Amino acid sequence: MASLHRRPLFVVSALAVPLLTLAAPGLLRIGGVPPSWAVLWLLPWALADGPLSGALAGLALGLLLDSLHLGGATQMPALALLGWWWGRLPRRGPPIERSFSLGLLAMLGSTLLGLSVLLQRQAGAGWAVLLTAANLYTLLAQVLVTALLAPMICSLLLLLWRRHSASARG
Amino acid sequence: MPFGRLSRVPWLRPVVGAWPWALVAAVLVAVRLSKGALLSDAYALLSRPFWPGSAQKEWLQAAQQLDQQTRLGQLELDNRRLRRLLDLQRASPGKVTAPVISREPGDWWHQLVLGAGGLQGIRAGDSVIAPGGLIGRVASVTPSTARVALLTDSASKVGVWVGRTQRHGLLTGVGSSRPVLRFLEKDPQVRPGDVVVTSPASTLVPPGLSVGVIQSVDDKAVPATLAVVQLSAPVASVDWVQVLTRQGPAAAGS
Repeated sequence: MASLHRRPLFVVSALAVPLLTLAAPGLLRIGGVPPSWAVLWLLPWALADGPLSGALAGLALGLLLDSLHLGGATQMPALALLGWWWGRLPRRGPPIERSFSLGLLAMLGSTLLGLSVLLQRQAGAGWAVLLTAANLYTLLAQVLVTALLAPMICSLLLLLWRRHSASARG
Repeated sequence: MPFGRLSRVPWLRPVVGAWPWALVAAVLVAVRLSKGALLSDAYALLSRPFWPGSAQKEWLQAAQQLDQQTRLGQLELDNRRLRRLLDLQRASPGKVTAPVISREPGDWWHQLVLGAGGLQGIRAGDSVIAPGGLIGRVASVTPSTARVALLTDSASKVGVWVGRTQRHGLLTGVGSSRPVLRFLEKDPQVRPGDVVVTSPASTLVPPGLSVGVIQSVDDKAVPATLAVVQLSAPVASVDWVQVLTRQGPAAAGS
């Protein structure tokens, strides 16, 4: 199963995440809030390539994205954790390709990612600031648009990558 | 020919002969019934050359504008001279015009990426202005790009001044499109509509740049009054910005 990372083209496709994050005007925004492109790329990658590769890809994406953003807040731990968790999923449960589960996983993932950034950025300001309308709005909008896009984008990527790893195996 | 036959009836002859006048009367009735539509239009058409032209207004406006511009230039000169006397601002800032190549005004980070950087003389900490006023400060610089922390970013803090009541405050981003102005005292006597400019005592940003307008005031906030500020520069739609570099052109040359 873990053969995706041997294909340079698939690895390079991760560069689409920082490019889409930087793109101006931004794509597919809800109320000015873009989807979490890192989650949308990492979910199919981890599902198709296993926990170790998923965690490493999460770390690498976190490094890339942290270099693009202001301040010291980091997305690396959350992304690595998500990659590891999503990589373990297909070994245990029923098949995961259903759109609903992809949307649900992306929703949980972007919630975790958003909360980790929010806590780091507002840690010094106290609970009152943490729960302001602006923060909740950004969190909700990002979770919504990511979960809406996940069944479409992730299922296509997952199909492509599963097919490749199946052909590489058999 | 019925008309010819009618004209041969003796008592009807004057009536039939007066048909042009009947036509005129009919036209007059039509004009009356239409409340003077044709008449007013004809009058407007005829009197067009004698209307008060737009020329006078334009002359007046041009004169007013010229007057204001001269006064503004004079005041700026005065201001600079006085500041130099007070030793507040050593070098007048240089300006670097830069395109906005990436814009994230709605994510967790409110930031812009500019297409000009260290090679153009931009340093971290420089102020960035757009048409309308200050929008943020440069947070980090690469040789050809610069990352700008917008005033709306939740890590941004800039000292500002309400000119009407001469009160200082701290403009803090909260992650929404409208930053919050925290005053230093309990009763700053500001009201919605007051103009906010950068603080004349600030060392981070040049003094007197317009920032925005106070939109609402919360008097009951603790520990001091809060106000919500609407930025005067349209951050979400700005394409080109100017970076006020700290080392002015004169200082760089010498």
